[in-house]
Amino acid sequence: MQMNDRLEKKRNIGISAHIDSGKTTLTERMLFYAKKIRRIHEVKGRDGVGATMDSMELEKERGITITSAATSIHWIDHVINIIDTPGHVDFTIEVERSLRVLDSAVLVLCSVGGVQSQTITVDRQLKRYNVPLIVFINKLDRIGANPFQVMEQLKDRLGHNPVLTQIPIGLENKLEGLVDLVSMRAVYFDGDDGEKVRQEDIPSHLRDEAIQRREDMLDAVSLFSDELTEAILEGEETEALIVEAIRKGTVSRKLTPVLMGSAYRNKGVQPLLDAVVRYLPNPGEVMNYALDLDKDGREIELVPDLKEPSVALAFKLEDGPYGQLTYIRVYQGEITKGDKLLNTRSGEEFRVGRLVKMHADTMEDIVQAESGDIAALFGIDCQSGDTFVSPGLNYALTSIFVPDPVISLAVKPKDSHSANNLAKALNRFAKEDPTFKTHIDPESKQTIIQGMGELHLDIYLERMKREYRAEVETGKPQVAYREAISRMAEFDYTHRKQTGGAGQYGRVIGHIEPLNEGAYEFVNNVKGGNIPREFIPSCDKGFQKALEKGPLIGSPITAVRVVLIDGQAHAVDSSDLAFQTAARVAFEKAYRQAQPVILEPVMKLSVESPSEFVGSVFSSIIQRRGIIISSTEDRRFARVDAEVPLGEMFGYATMLRSLTQGKAEFTMEFLKYSKVPVDIAEILKAEYHDSLR
Amino acid sequence: MIKKELIQRSPLRILEKAIHGGLGKGNIGVLASRKGIGKTACLVHIATDKLFQGRPVIHVSYASRVDYIIGWYEDIFKEIAQKRQLESALDVHDEIIKNRVIMNFKQDAARTDQVLKSIEAMIDCGNFAADAMIVDGFAFAESTPEDLQKFKDFARRANLEVWFSASLKGAGPLFDDQGIPNELKVFMNQIDVCITLGFKETHIRLSLVKDFDFPPPGDLDIKLDPKSLLISE
Repeated sequence: MQMNDRLEKKRNIGISAHIDSGKTTLTERMLFYAKKIRRIHEVKGRDGVGATMDSMELEKERGITITSAATSIHWIDHVINIIDTPGHVDFTIEVERSLRVLDSAVLVLCSVGGVQSQTITVDRQLKRYNVPLIVFINKLDRIGANPFQVMEQLKDRLGHNPVLTQIPIGLENKLEGLVDLVSMRAVYFDGDDGEKVRQEDIPSHLRDEAIQRREDMLDAVSLFSDELTEAILEGEETEALIVEAIRKGTVSRKLTPVLMGSAYRNKGVQPLLDAVVRYLPNPGEVMNYALDLDKDGREIELVPDLKEPSVALAFKLEDGPYGQLTYIRVYQGEITKGDKLLNTRSGEEFRVGRLVKMHADTMEDIVQAESGDIAALFGIDCQSGDTFVSPGLNYALTSIFVPDPVISLAVKPKDSHSANNLAKALNRFAKEDPTFKTHIDPESKQTIIQGMGELHLDIYLERMKREYRAEVETGKPQVAYREAISRMAEFDYTHRKQTGGAGQYGRVIGHIEPLNEGAYEFVNNVKGGNIPREFIPSCDKGFQKALEKGPLIGSPITAVRVVLIDGQAHAVDSSDLAFQTAARVAFEKAYRQAQPVILEPVMKLSVESPSEFVGSVFSSIIQRRGIIISSTEDRRFARVDAEVPLGEMFGYATMLRSLTQGKAEFTMEFLKYSKVPVDIAEILKAEYHDSLR
Repeated sequence: MIKKELIQRSPLRILEKAIHGGLGKGNIGVLASRKGIGKTACLVHIATDKLFQGRPVIHVSYASRVDYIIGWYEDIFKEIAQKRQLESALDVHDEIIKNRVIMNFKQDAARTDQVLKSIEAMIDCGNFAADAMIVDGFAFAESTPEDLQKFKDFARRANLEVWFSASLKGAGPLFDDQGIPNELKVFMNQIDVCITLGFKETHIRLSLVKDFDFPPPGDLDIKLDPKSLLISE
């Protein structure tokens, strides 16, 4: 088979949904009909087994998916990889990764609840990443089911151009089947689990409606195909022409085909799988880019051709009984057992050992994974988000830049069992997520975890408990403040000690000044050997020692350049230690003259909310010392972008929820360090001095 | 040059003088021309001049994306700071960002009442003591004098001076014999100051065609620098 044909037979899809719209049940049914699991398990675990995809406890509890599992199924000689997507906006890295890996999505809506606030979030994410989608209106068997109303909501609330491709035969407890408007046949689902699809003529009482709805569909769809338009004029439209037109509209995101059914009642799932194959793009139709690290991170378009050098993304790690399992998506070339690959983050080369394809609960050994494939590797030491390439390339699929953590939290295991598990958990999390860091504080001996925000750390605390059974106590979250100088100051300091035995002598002269980029720079301008060469590193060391803990609030000092100009040494009494001490004290003295200030992390905040709450959003930002940069409003939504100090953002999620009836959502990421206002600085200093006492 | 001098020497002082001390709060000024002449740049220059004076500005845009508008501000700030060798440019820049807010409305959603409601929310709930407002991309052709009157009433209430841009379309003559844009004639009761921009030989000339109730002087002694699109002498 030619590469293009092979790509044509692949689909990488995500299933996105609001909690309770039946995403897990639907996924379960998809796997069942594709013959991958023998028996259907109900989500709520009536049979004690639980649905197959739902691998994480936490996900069930919160209704959000935090990691993405991938499962591959076969449907009409196509391979469909189902990638579980996080439906939450806060885990930027996680969301980004999973949306990167999928080429299209099925958006599941409840026929009663319709478009809800979380649907809006999910839809926005798909829009942001330009992901084509089809809609499945689920739960037609529920009391109050109204798929036509959901259609209207798709138009009004999400701004989609939805087109109905099916209508229900009966609703609520009278749901019998569907009318397919493309083939104009009635479809029923027989057998114990609805596995037998039976096609019949459209029931006479639905004939007129079906004809009307089909005309509406053709009107909307013909815009995407001149050929279809002509055929319609001549009354000769074929199923193939209609499908091709819908497909064109869908791939370009200008049309959203709507399907429906009840996954729980085993109705409508097979036609949905047909639609995935018919309407959603194959990996060859989606542009993917990598950053060329040899060319300042310039964007390079990847070509899904087997002959090209390989490029793959490690998008998820999982611990299994056989060690670490690394999920990868291949974007270019192919990966074969025994191949040599390079991890462009670590710079390490490795050989591809065992290569498998993951099904819901089994795995299949494969020899080769090619462009567009999703597979898993065994025994590779790597982190999530790493890029694997054929040696010779130096590409990255995700940004290499990892910001420093801005918030920290002390964690203490409750017992020795937990202590053991905590260590395992921390090790794992740090590998999965480069923005999550952990260390032992040298003074308090406490374990400190660090991350990019409150919620970010909350999720990991939950995962410690659920997945690793590590019970921990936590301290108060601490914002990572910094200290810095705001002007130049000179130093001239002599360290002299003469208390019997060998004396200590060292004199350093120079200045310190603010540094625009970077944390610390040491410039040695000493001429004529007034400070002997061997003691220059001692001075550097002494200055760096002074940076560790600023005198204002005990935070690290950053953005400073130390220029050493002159000094003096003593033939006998000068030593490494003497110059280290001289430099440290000299810095501390100059520091006080250099108008030191406290810096705080400032976050880039983006709040999206229905327009009617925009005033509340504005005031919520202003109350937290934020600066509103801009607001953007369309028909229903407002997006407010602002800069807000992290120290003021604790509990913002709760506050925003109550201000907007839960209809607003926000994302927050680190932006920069900025000077703390004077009044706040005074409070921080007072707190620090109290803590010293 | 320090900030104070920069303000004093701005070519916008000439404009202010021409319109008798400035547009003034509660009044509406319009910059009108064909597309692509430099209205947005002019508006941003006017806004930046206010920002230099520490006067908060709301920039309302109906068309451009926020990052595009911010780009304009950055460019014009850089131009001015470089040309006039502004001292402590970084601090001035930080100050400017605090005093500027951009509000973007999608055209089809832009019902004047909703727009004004959001701006009011910015001033009240957002605690933003705006002094002036820039409105770029307002579709005069699809609006009525009542819409503009709503802006004017709002400007009076909120004590704002408001500068609009008007993009003139059409194949026929755009201006009447007094130089007033035909498209804006129905709005002249609401507009206090109207300035048109047009090519004259090698540069873009600014003409004052409505000046409150004073007889308008026509061509002004300022023009647009074709390279930076800044207003200059």
